[in-house]
Amino acid sequence: MYCFDPSRTDRFELDFVPMTQENSAHELLLHLDGVGKTFRMGEVSVHALKTVNLEIYHGEFLVMVGPSGSGKTTMLNIIGGLDQPSFGKVWYGDEDLSNVSQRELTRYRRETVGFVFQFYNLVPTLTARENVMVATELVKNPIDVDEALRLVGLSERSNHFPSQMSGGEQQRVAIARALAKNPELLLCDEPTGALDFETGKKVLRLLVDLKNTLGKTVLIITHNAAIAEAADRVVRLRSGEIVETHSNPHPKPPEDIEW
Amino acid sequence: MVRVLDRKLLRELRHQKGLLLAITTLVAVGVMCFVYMRSAHRNLKNAQSNYNTQCRMADFWIDLKKAPIAELQDLAELRGITELRPRIQFLCTVDLPDAKEPINGLVLSMPDRRTPVINDVILKRGDYFTDQRRDEVLVNNAFAKKHGIKPGDIIHLILNNRRQELHVVGTAISSEFTYLVGPGAISPDPEHFGVFYLKQTYAEEVFDFDGAANQLVGLLAPELREHPDAILRAAEARLKTYGVFSVTPLKDQQSHRFLSDEIRGIGTFAGMMPIVFLAVAALVLNVLLLRLIDQQRVVIGTLKGLGYSNAELFLHFTKFSSVIGLAGGLVGWAMGYQMSAWVTQIYQTMFEFPELKNNVYPELYLIGMAISLTCSVAGSFRGARAALSLQPAEAMRSKPPAEGGRVWIERIPMLWSRLSSGWRMVLRNMIRHKARTIVGVFAASMGAAILSCGFILQTSMGYLISFQFSKIDRSDVDLTFKDERGVDALFDARRLPAVDHAEPILDVACEFFNGPYRRKGVIRGLMPDARLTTPRDIHEDRILPPESGVVIPRKLAELMHLQPGDMLEFEPIKGVRKHCRVPIIRLADSYMGLMVYANIDYLRGLIGEEQAVSGVQLEVDERPEAMRELTRTVKRLPAVQTYVSRKSMIHNLNSTLVEMQNVFIGIMVIFAGVIFFASLLNMSLIGLAERRREVATFLVQGYSEWQVGGFFFRETMVTAIVGTLLGFPLGYLLVFWLTKNYDTEMFRFPLRTPPVVWVKTFMWGLGFAFAAHVFVQREISRMDWRDALSVKE
Repeated sequence: MYCFDPSRTDRFELDFVPMTQENSAHELLLHLDGVGKTFRMGEVSVHALKTVNLEIYHGEFLVMVGPSGSGKTTMLNIIGGLDQPSFGKVWYGDEDLSNVSQRELTRYRRETVGFVFQFYNLVPTLTARENVMVATELVKNPIDVDEALRLVGLSERSNHFPSQMSGGEQQRVAIARALAKNPELLLCDEPTGALDFETGKKVLRLLVDLKNTLGKTVLIITHNAAIAEAADRVVRLRSGEIVETHSNPHPKPPEDIEW
Repeated sequence: MVRVLDRKLLRELRHQKGLLLAITTLVAVGVMCFVYMRSAHRNLKNAQSNYNTQCRMADFWIDLKKAPIAELQDLAELRGITELRPRIQFLCTVDLPDAKEPINGLVLSMPDRRTPVINDVILKRGDYFTDQRRDEVLVNNAFAKKHGIKPGDIIHLILNNRRQELHVVGTAISSEFTYLVGPGAISPDPEHFGVFYLKQTYAEEVFDFDGAANQLVGLLAPELREHPDAILRAAEARLKTYGVFSVTPLKDQQSHRFLSDEIRGIGTFAGMMPIVFLAVAALVLNVLLLRLIDQQRVVIGTLKGLGYSNAELFLHFTKFSSVIGLAGGLVGWAMGYQMSAWVTQIYQTMFEFPELKNNVYPELYLIGMAISLTCSVAGSFRGARAALSLQPAEAMRSKPPAEGGRVWIERIPMLWSRLSSGWRMVLRNMIRHKARTIVGVFAASMGAAILSCGFILQTSMGYLISFQFSKIDRSDVDLTFKDERGVDALFDARRLPAVDHAEPILDVACEFFNGPYRRKGVIRGLMPDARLTTPRDIHEDRILPPESGVVIPRKLAELMHLQPGDMLEFEPIKGVRKHCRVPIIRLADSYMGLMVYANIDYLRGLIGEEQAVSGVQLEVDERPEAMRELTRTVKRLPAVQTYVSRKSMIHNLNSTLVEMQNVFIGIMVIFAGVIFFASLLNMSLIGLAERRREVATFLVQGYSEWQVGGFFFRETMVTAIVGTLLGFPLGYLLVFWLTKNYDTEMFRFPLRTPPVVWVKTFMWGLGFAFAAHVFVQREISRMDWRDALSVKE
């Protein structure tokens, strides 16, 4: 499916043979059917997500934008199997994720989802390489750890601990970790949020390339509306509701986006 | 399978080594306590049983005046008696040229030729008797060692009023004298008391006991050993015509009994102490692991998000706590083995065994390890369960701020308004972290309980000795006579060199009766104005011997269900064995033996021997030259049976029983220290880890490290003080419970709790807490607060 040039381990960009979009586009991967989430905080109930319907397709690059508190992270967590909805159904194929056992949900997270956390959530006592291994040891057909690190341009830093790396580097380790499991669905929570402009663009390029070359479905949530310009489809959220969905026939290359 | 997680585990263990060391120590001490106490207990128990088997220890002893051996052998006809050995036994005086004081001895006859007999000896040096001489002797090993007596030497014993020269052929030990104490003594004193084994033929000759014996030792059928009373009563009845002085079943034999009491005592200790330690360790471990796992909430959420299952993560945390348990167990094993070796060594000085080995009991070690692992894993279980029950998304969200409302103490405005903001913070913190505070207080109270228990035991022992030897028995030297003497013996005693004052005593060994209750004991007759033996009540007030009736010790009253006003029935063991009934006038308090007191003339009247004296008590001029003169004279007096110097007795008591007790108290203080130190340190370090940001903020605002440390210091001290105060009653209960096991006819423990005990406990407790805080303060000083401030929650 993909190939790379071993002599160019320092490169940040991917060297994949592009996949054809027709392979998988418009094939439904996952859909949310009237999903909502309510948190109880002491005496009060907070409706983080009201009744939401959303379809996610194979191989699409979907960006969800919305201000803080709009329910983005809650939705991402529900899609990623990290949380369960208070009501509604989450269909992955013909499986209702809102109604499966913890064991099934764990299997879904393990085999289907790669999650990139907003604050990277690297294990501080493990090196970059080991942080990726934490993921690869879980699955049957992982991408080679060193290859995953090379893909994110961190071959040389693979033996560094998180505390010895910059925010951007840590974010790339987090992406390598999510990627290395070779998941179908890559979920990224504010992947550029903690990064400077230049690094943010590079990370975005990496994600676009993963979608284009490996055919991964990539879902990004962000409060940064500019990023939406790179998406195949954009979903806007406000106060726990989807207020707008639109397709983007000509996504901008990340290098051309300004924020 | 999950190798990277194992690496994470190892690194985390390394990063937290200070904290882990403290907790591991606590677990290790618990395991050590368990292993060493149980091992020492078993070592002693096994040694006792092996020794008894090796020497074919008798099941009973019957002392009588004199009986033909052939007649005594007939007793074997009684069903249940499987083997008998008549022998000759006499107290004697040992005449060693360099001895400062007269030495008492016990001579026992042994077969001329070696055969395996009941109450056999084990030779330590030299050989058994030969056919070459009739006057050969085997000397008790401890005595020989103390006086440098070796095979080939000649010693002199006063036997049957004649000074005899004897050839030492060997030194020996016997299970009969594992705990070897002389007449009137309570601690082993090989300097002043020894056992001498003579050839049967020689003993018969020298004591004019041709074909006769005055003691019978025997074995019972196994099924009768537990309940020998009936058969022994039957034996006594059959021997009545020969003047039976006493019948002693194995359980009442002095040495066996003392050793058994001690073994039971350690057994109680071994059952109790490790539980205290392990309970504290388990609780502290619980709080600690809860905290450590809580610190990893985000990591747990992330790993779950990546697809790790609850089972895999649970295993991960179980491994973490297992490492602690394993380390604690292993260190506990090593320390337990060492301690057991050391303590067993100490017992070797008190009890004379052929070999007292420090054995390894694999099952004890395995149980120790299992307890350690269970405590640790159970500790982590709660934390892991709490963290794993969360959805990954929830685990990754930072914890909601701790409850910040008012705490109950704030509703007491009188108190609250007077507190500084520092104190308010300290108290709020403690009350909000209830579980942790409670565990800290619990640990401190256990530490204080153990400390006060040690101090109470020490004080009580001191009190016991001073009560017994400066309040009740106040003479400097006691002499007893071979036979009861007339009053002229007293006048003779008054004329002895160095004697300032002398008082007669009349000890009548007898058996007491009250319905179904029987006890052997002694009635001591005292002059009405006696000042060298002064019975006391519990308030230490003197009790004068009543003109008629008797004063009995409280313990005897309890045992025999008697009270003042009741009639005490008794029958003397020697002489005219007339059955008497006397009124009980008062109860006396004493902590050793079961001595009953009466007016000497009244007692003489009861036994029908006017002017009889069995011994004298002396107050002497204790200057060395005067004492030398006295002992030289006493050695030459054939009528004197025993010579007891109060001073050497107390000295000996101090260097044996008291010293041993002090060693154990020392160990207790160290253990209590570990409990105090390790648990308070753990609690503070957990608090510090949780409040790094708060501490950093204070430092940035300009608080000094000492001021910030002060907040933690106050928490530690409040915990320690509250815990210590709660530990006082626990300590009292602990001693009460422990000493119940030592409450025997021979020995009772007064529970003395003067204020100094509590003050000492308090000061030590605070000292340990202070030591723990030194480490916390060091942590604060070394903290990288810039880093702490940038920590992302």
